[in-house]
Amino acid sequence: MDKLVEKLKKIDKRWIYLLIFLSCILPFFPGFEFLNQEFSETKETIAFYDNINELKEGDAVFIDWAFDPTTQAELLPMAEQTLKQCFDKKLRVFIYFPFLTGISLGENALAKLQKEPGYEYIEEGVHYQNLGYLPLMTDMLLFSMYSDFKGTFGKEGKIFKGLNTFADIKYVMCFSGSSWPESYILLQRRFGFKMQVGVTAVIGPDYIPFLQTGQLQGMLFGLKGAAEYENIRVKAGSDKKFNRKANAGMASLTLSHLVMFMFIAIGNLIYLFEKKVKKI
Amino acid sequence: MKKEIPLLIGFFATIGWYLEFFMAGTFFENWKMFFTNGFKTVTIVGLLVGAFSVLRINFKRIKYNNDRWFSVYQLSLIGFMILLGVTRGVNPGTPFDAMFTFGFVPLDATVFSLLAFYVASASYRSFRIKSIESAFLLVAAIFIMLSKIPLGEAMWSKIPVIGEWIMDGPTSAGKRAILFGAYLGGLTMMIRIAFGLERSHISE
Repeated sequence: MDKLVEKLKKIDKRWIYLLIFLSCILPFFPGFEFLNQEFSETKETIAFYDNINELKEGDAVFIDWAFDPTTQAELLPMAEQTLKQCFDKKLRVFIYFPFLTGISLGENALAKLQKEPGYEYIEEGVHYQNLGYLPLMTDMLLFSMYSDFKGTFGKEGKIFKGLNTFADIKYVMCFSGSSWPESYILLQRRFGFKMQVGVTAVIGPDYIPFLQTGQLQGMLFGLKGAAEYENIRVKAGSDKKFNRKANAGMASLTLSHLVMFMFIAIGNLIYLFEKKVKKI
Repeated sequence: MKKEIPLLIGFFATIGWYLEFFMAGTFFENWKMFFTNGFKTVTIVGLLVGAFSVLRINFKRIKYNNDRWFSVYQLSLIGFMILLGVTRGVNPGTPFDAMFTFGFVPLDATVFSLLAFYVASASYRSFRIKSIESAFLLVAAIFIMLSKIPLGEAMWSKIPVIGEWIMDGPTSAGKRAILFGAYLGGLTMMIRIAFGLERSHISE
């Protein structure tokens, strides 16, 4: 027993890395379908969907694409589904990119969406507006002004009709893996817009107090939140074929968590065994 | 004057921004806009200084043979991306976009995903029940993790409920306390900068 414990204690890190790698990769291959368990939707996800669903045709929504490839595994499926739901509802979508490395990610997602059946009609300046990039914090200073929304971005067109300040935006939706959405929460008091967020699982707990106070009306929480959102949209009639990017990763998420539990358990067993031996 | 002028700028900028929040639509808005334009200028100059600094450091390395090939590689890539962007544009479908999609995106995502490996290794070596507090932490962490995977709900339908309670109750209470502390700290810092009591930003 001592030998085994000693061996486990000094296990090469590379074995741990290999197991984690396999737990992430293997569920994508046939034979691991049993990991695809059904799950229910949380109230935050349902609220996120319902809030967009309750908007009227032509209402303006502001999407803050505050993520880059580092967090795209969790946030890209959320942002894509949100865009689709907004286009389905015929809302005017304004997309803003506060991170330079997120711009191409967003533009590519929109270009890909325009090739998907049912969304070929989407056109910039008519259905959505790419508001481009402003350096961090400068954007918040400009957005906080009662200045002309068009003037801020120097754009013209029918899509801006009736939009003068942030107060004319019906909903702000921010996708981020950091505390960035808090900047909009600070603006919310001034302009009174409604807001919801899509965040990574790591940062999600930070936003729960804002959900409880009603400053946030909905939240997508990590990859599971994205998968729940996809499921709600599929139940509402969207094609499953084009709406299961987050669900495809759920088996991998499950197996990698199980491997993590195994590591925690083995680590603690070694610790308890050693403690017992020392006492003797 | 080297110290007085930055302190005065700090005073007027801070007071203007602060009062504008309570008196929106008044002349304080123009006051705030004036400093916002200054902020934009400083940010853009900062970007230029950053770009110049990257070039200077890499040229120095090349000159003194200090990791020369890394610098050559970095500068070539910077130059190549600029060339592609300027000559062929940056829209989807251009060579610049291809470099971003097939080069930058996987590399950036890979660096971040390394965290999973480090967390696994750390959980094996460090996540030990050494006290009552750590036992509570471990149990709470396991419930939260299980509530965030479909298997948790499949094992026991109450797991998501327990996970939600931990998040909405103890976690949220702790987070609120941290937020209150941070915002009160921010307010204190604002007052200290406005009245020149805090001078670290002018290297004092």
